[in-house]
Amino acid sequence: MTDADGDGSADGGPPPRSARDRAFDVLDRLVAASATERLLISGSALLLSVAIGFLLILAAGRMTSCDAAAYSLFGVGFCYDPILVYDSLFLGAFGDFFANPLNGQFATTVSETTVLVFTGVAVAVAFKAGVFNIGGQGQLVFGALASALVVYALAGAVSGLVGTVVLVTVGVAVGALVGGLYGAIPGALKAYADANEVITTIMLNFVATSVALYLAGGPFKDPESFANQTRRLPEYALFPQPLFPGRTDASLLALALAVAVAVGIAYLLRRTAFGYDVRTSGIQPEAAEYGGVDAARTVVSSMALSGALAGIGGAVYVLTIAGNFQTGVPDYGFDGITVSILAGNNPVGAVAAALLFGVLKSGSIVVDVGTDVPPQLVGVLRGLIVLFVAMPEFFRMIGKRVDVRDRLGGSRDAVATDGGEEA
Amino acid sequence: MTEAVRLDGITKRFPGVVANDDVTLSVERGTVHALLGENGAGKTTLMNVLYGLYEPTEGDVYVDGDGLTYDDEGAVADAPRRFDSPRDAIDAGVGMIHQHFMLVDPMTVAENITLGNEPRKWGGLAVDRAAAREAVLDLSERYGFDVEPDATIEDIGVGVQQRVEILKALYRGAEILILDEPTAVLTPQEVEDLFEVLEELTDAGKTVIFITHKLGEALEAADEVTVLRDGKNVGSVETAGTTREELAELMVGREVMLETETPPATPGAPTLTVDGVSANDERGVTAVDDVSFTVREGEVFGIAGVDGNGQSELVEVVTGLRKPTAGAVALEGTDVTDASRRARTRAGMAYIPEDRQERGLVMDFDLSENGVLGSQHDAPFAQGGRLDWTYADDHAADIIEEYDVRPPDATAEAKSLSGGNQQKFIVGREFARDPACIVASHPTRGVDIGSTEFIHDRLIDLRDEGRAVLLVSSKLDEVRGLSDRLAVMYRGRVVDVVDPDEVTEEQLGLLMAGEEPEDVPRADPVADAADATDGVAGTPPADDADAEVADD
Repeated sequence: MTDADGDGSADGGPPPRSARDRAFDVLDRLVAASATERLLISGSALLLSVAIGFLLILAAGRMTSCDAAAYSLFGVGFCYDPILVYDSLFLGAFGDFFANPLNGQFATTVSETTVLVFTGVAVAVAFKAGVFNIGGQGQLVFGALASALVVYALAGAVSGLVGTVVLVTVGVAVGALVGGLYGAIPGALKAYADANEVITTIMLNFVATSVALYLAGGPFKDPESFANQTRRLPEYALFPQPLFPGRTDASLLALALAVAVAVGIAYLLRRTAFGYDVRTSGIQPEAAEYGGVDAARTVVSSMALSGALAGIGGAVYVLTIAGNFQTGVPDYGFDGITVSILAGNNPVGAVAAALLFGVLKSGSIVVDVGTDVPPQLVGVLRGLIVLFVAMPEFFRMIGKRVDVRDRLGGSRDAVATDGGEEA
Repeated sequence: MTEAVRLDGITKRFPGVVANDDVTLSVERGTVHALLGENGAGKTTLMNVLYGLYEPTEGDVYVDGDGLTYDDEGAVADAPRRFDSPRDAIDAGVGMIHQHFMLVDPMTVAENITLGNEPRKWGGLAVDRAAAREAVLDLSERYGFDVEPDATIEDIGVGVQQRVEILKALYRGAEILILDEPTAVLTPQEVEDLFEVLEELTDAGKTVIFITHKLGEALEAADEVTVLRDGKNVGSVETAGTTREELAELMVGREVMLETETPPATPGAPTLTVDGVSANDERGVTAVDDVSFTVREGEVFGIAGVDGNGQSELVEVVTGLRKPTAGAVALEGTDVTDASRRARTRAGMAYIPEDRQERGLVMDFDLSENGVLGSQHDAPFAQGGRLDWTYADDHAADIIEEYDVRPPDATAEAKSLSGGNQQKFIVGREFARDPACIVASHPTRGVDIGSTEFIHDRLIDLRDEGRAVLLVSSKLDEVRGLSDRLAVMYRGRVVDVVDPDEVTEEQLGLLMAGEEPEDVPRADPVADAADATDGVAGTPPADDADAEVADD
């Protein structure tokens, strides 16, 4: 305790802060970021991922042998052209949009986006209730299978325009019902048996896939096909697609339904008593309990709602893209998790996030067809984009969960809670 | 005079807030200095500046446990200190004892005290336990602390744990000790013991600063008191030359009624009946053991006790947050033992929870949304499952105006409010339910004097309107001042029900510490109107009682 100690530090600049403090500061800034800032962050993340992808494509291009360089930089030849790759990945998804907005490639983008909106909103609803629904895939598979079977069974009874209205409505309703019931199971297990929903939903995904494989390969197999799939539905039983000539897989009507559902869910969460219960349970379960929210019922009903949305996604997949139930359903349910995180669990934001996914999925096809770049590398590029764009939102979620009061024994927040935290 | 600490013109700004505004504070070596102020006055922030957790925006910190040195003109000759972290502060001899003890429960006292600075042997490879024990015993004896170095932390009382915290700071060479609200968790007897410890410390040349918002403590334990209000130093006074009233006025900025005037109650029919209730805590251990009482219309029934003696669990059983293992709860004659929280709220039970930041408010919701909590399924907030946010906004605005919640902004998130304002909002929301029964658990914990006075007045108003109030508090003056009947809980049981006007603080303290009522002089059981018994018989004469207490 000599005065020299004081001398030494008197003229020092701002003190170096610990890594822990700086990490918390970054989290705080992320949590506090405004909508514009978040857009800017996402935009910069996107650019950064493209920059890194650019180098990856060049490196991969150097390690491959080809007859003629597709791209050269400073006199060095590369087998793959990164500009062409990214041009195809992003703009390919829109096809020749300005000449013909209703082109085939854009139709693929629309159909992919539509299903992803449903699964993305499904995951978001569960997230809002504080439940992590990884079972979207299983709920989607069962919703799709049930929808395909019921619509096929009824397809003989009605036909024409009336048939379309009835069958599509019934198909979507059945998908919602079955998906909802399948989502309610892990909800009930969590609420009444204290079983972690992450484990149960993953297990139920396997169950759904296996059961669907058995049913589509056995009792309900299309006898005329070698693949494990159900009988094809007649065209009048599918979503009407008046705007994409020559396509049966993309429907702007289905997309409109998806957007309407996303907006409806946002309204439900913000404007209804049920939504209040869900949000309260999600962010502060103790306060929800205090406020008279039945925690068990909220978990079950939000999981059922989440499952129903995924189930509708499955029905829409059958009634637009597939035309019947086929095993090997793409991972829409899992992509929904990323869509939801990308959207910060905002149902309306999920529409935009799903569009990004739809664009990337559709664009990948264009890259595969138009360049020599291996599909694995395209997968890496897509993964980079999603990772970079999702991470700021992901850390934002973490930042919100890290309770300010837990840090440094409450001193960080001393202004707001001065003296207000007695034992 | 020789100062140990001088804070010179300290200003600490946070975005949008000035927590400390040009505060100058001087603490003489070898004295106890109380830092008094309402919540949000900036006491903790100022001490965090001294302890190196915050860097001041402006101003200088001078510290020397042996006393500062001065030049010929009387200015401080020492260089100002700049602490980058608590470690720097500790190296300079400043130790801080936080409200929440930072002790490792399964470890012994000696291990806790030496943790991080253990004496070493075998070339630093092993901890020298014998030397650690010796060092702790030595320290403990030097300051007259009664601490057993081999006891494990979980086996010793809260008061002793606090002494272990103090020893920990002393072991690290602290010359200046900062105590943040040290009495919050102590019984009156333990508070007395603490004050004796503080005296020992100052006699040995240590300097003590303690943060408090309790006037009585500041007057009793400190040599000098500095009052902070709105981040400014509004005056430093010697305790010898001041009064409670003067300090209260300094703190609040206006005259304050220190004692709540409670006109006698006129109890009516039973509103809340608790019959033979037992309950377990989270670990499955019995926390509430066969408790029975009745709260009538127009009366305040108080429950006193040291925190952690089953009061929290009892309140949770009453309000429907916890299932009892035995017994029944009835509200206005209807059995509600199995009724949900929502059903109880609808039946007319308002509830001010003990933990406002965990339960009472959703911290990420704004005040409009928080005003709906508990009523989200009921008209007029909800109609056909749809929430009426216009109504909710007006409702929140009404609470904010009536209860003077600051900032007066219904769109502010709950977490942005200070603790006292959060509490005022909860109290306003619960009182607005027009309840038949109010369960108030620590309703003024962490709330400043002005707001406390207001909440107390409202509780008494509601009582006088014929509502039943169940009041749980560890603040003795609060439960004594407001209650018409007062139960004391110890280890899950109601050890006695007394008349708060008859009982002395010492007697209450003994009951709270687990003394049998028969052994506590003059703590007359009050007759419950239902089973009128003459409990006055057999109590020793008043003079003897006082003598006995004094001997203790």
